[in-house]
Amino acid sequence: MKKQKRQPGQDLHTLAGAYAMDAISAPDRARFERHLAGCEECAQEIASLREATARLATATAVPPPARLKERVMAAAAATRQQPPAEREAVVRTWRSRRLVMAAAAVAAAVVAGAAVVFGVSNGSMSDQLSQDRASGQQIAAVLTARDATMMTGAVRGGGTVTIVMSHARHALVFTAADLRPLPASRGYELWLIGPAGDRPVTMLPSATMAGPVVASGLRPGDHLALTAEPAGGTARPTTPMMLDVAL
Amino acid sequence: MTAIGRPGPERARKKAEPGASADLAGQLTLVARGDAAAFDAVYDQLAPSVFGVVRRVIRDPAQSEEVTQDVLLEVWRSAAKFDAGRGSATAWVMTIAHRRAVDRVRSAQKETERERRSARTDVPYDEVAEAVESSLERERVRRCLGSLTDLQRESVTLAYYGGYTYGQVASLLGVPAGTIKTRMRDALIRLRDCLGVAH
Repeated sequence: MKKQKRQPGQDLHTLAGAYAMDAISAPDRARFERHLAGCEECAQEIASLREATARLATATAVPPPARLKERVMAAAAATRQQPPAEREAVVRTWRSRRLVMAAAAVAAAVVAGAAVVFGVSNGSMSDQLSQDRASGQQIAAVLTARDATMMTGAVRGGGTVTIVMSHARHALVFTAADLRPLPASRGYELWLIGPAGDRPVTMLPSATMAGPVVASGLRPGDHLALTAEPAGGTARPTTPMMLDVAL
Repeated sequence: MTAIGRPGPERARKKAEPGASADLAGQLTLVARGDAAAFDAVYDQLAPSVFGVVRRVIRDPAQSEEVTQDVLLEVWRSAAKFDAGRGSATAWVMTIAHRRAVDRVRSAQKETERERRSARTDVPYDEVAEAVESSLERERVRRCLGSLTDLQRESVTLAYYGGYTYGQVASLLGVPAGTIKTRMRDALIRLRDCLGVAH
C-alpha cells in the first residue's frame, strides 16, 4: 500500500469515528464524504463502524405506541417509492465485446498462467490438487466456448480484471492484476450475486496476480462482485463491492 | 401462478434479533418492490430500535414519534437504495434513524438554545430496562461499552446518544477536539471488535 503522507487525507481519516456517529458539523460531513468517494478503505471502515453503532441503537429498543404503526402504514400506502439506480450505471465503464478469437488467443496464455499459479498454491492438500486440475479443464472449456465473451475493467480502489464468460457453459474465468494489497488478515473474495442468492466463489490467492479462477453455476441475473473480507472468507459479502459487473 | 402474499411468515417472525438480519435484507428487497406485507414485517422488527434511538437523542416524545415516522417512511421510499453488499439492513436503517434524529436536534438548536440537560449523567447503558431487545444482546452492548476507557465511553455516549458533534463533546469534556476525534474512532473499532461485528 502507498503510504499517504499528505496531511489533509490523514487528518480526514481520523474523522471516521465522528462521521459514523454523525458527530460532525455539516461542512465537515461534506468534506469527509468527498474524501470517502475516493477512498475505498475508508468506505469499508465506515461500513464496519456503522454495524457497531447500529448495535448501540438496537440496544435502546422500546416499543413505539401502536398508533404509530397505523400512521406509518397509511403514509406508506400514499407514498410513491423511489426507483432503484440503474444497474448499467456500473457496467458502463466496461468494454464488453464478443471476442471469440481474442478469447481463444488469450486461452493459451491464461492456461499457462493457471498451471504456474496452481503449482505454487496446491502444496497443502491433495484434494485441492485434484480440484485445481479440474478447474484447469473448466478454464479451457470456458475459454473455448462458442459464446465466450471477454470483458475488462477497473476495480474501485485499484487494479484491473479480465473476465471471459460463457453463458452456454454457465461459467466464467476471472483474473485480476494489481489489486491494492490488503493486510495479511484480509483477502479479496469473489462472489456471484443474483436472484439465486449470494454465493462465495473463492478467496483470491494474491492481489498482484490473482487467478485465473473459475466461477461455475452462473444463473440468470447474476452479477460478479469483489469485496475485501477477513482472510478466512465469509458466507456473504460484508464490505462494499469493489467490483460489480452484470453478467 | 405464484402466491403473492405468502402465508404465515409474518406470523412466525420473531422480534428483531441478530440472527434475523439476513432475513431482514430479503424483506427490504421485497419492500423495494412495493410489498406492503414485507414492510409490515420490517416495521415490526425495526420500529422499536428506530424509536428507541430517536427518542434517546431527541427526548421529546411527540417529536420522537414524528421523526420515527419520517424514518420508517424513508425506509419505505428508498428501500431500493439498500445494498446488502454495503452492510446489514439494520445498520442501513439505524444510520438513517440516527442521522434524522441528530439533524432534528441540531436544527432545533439553531433556533433556541437547546435545553441544558447533562448528558453525562444520563448513562444510557444503565437505562435500557424497558428495551424489547433480547436481554442477552443488551447485556453484550453494555459489557462492550464497559470495556472502553472512560474517555472513549463518554465520547461515544455523548456523540451517539447525546447527538453532540465531536467539537461539542470536546468542550463538554474539556479535552482537545483532536483527542476526542481519535478516541471516537478507537472506541468504535473496539466496540466493533468486542461486538463481533463482521467487517
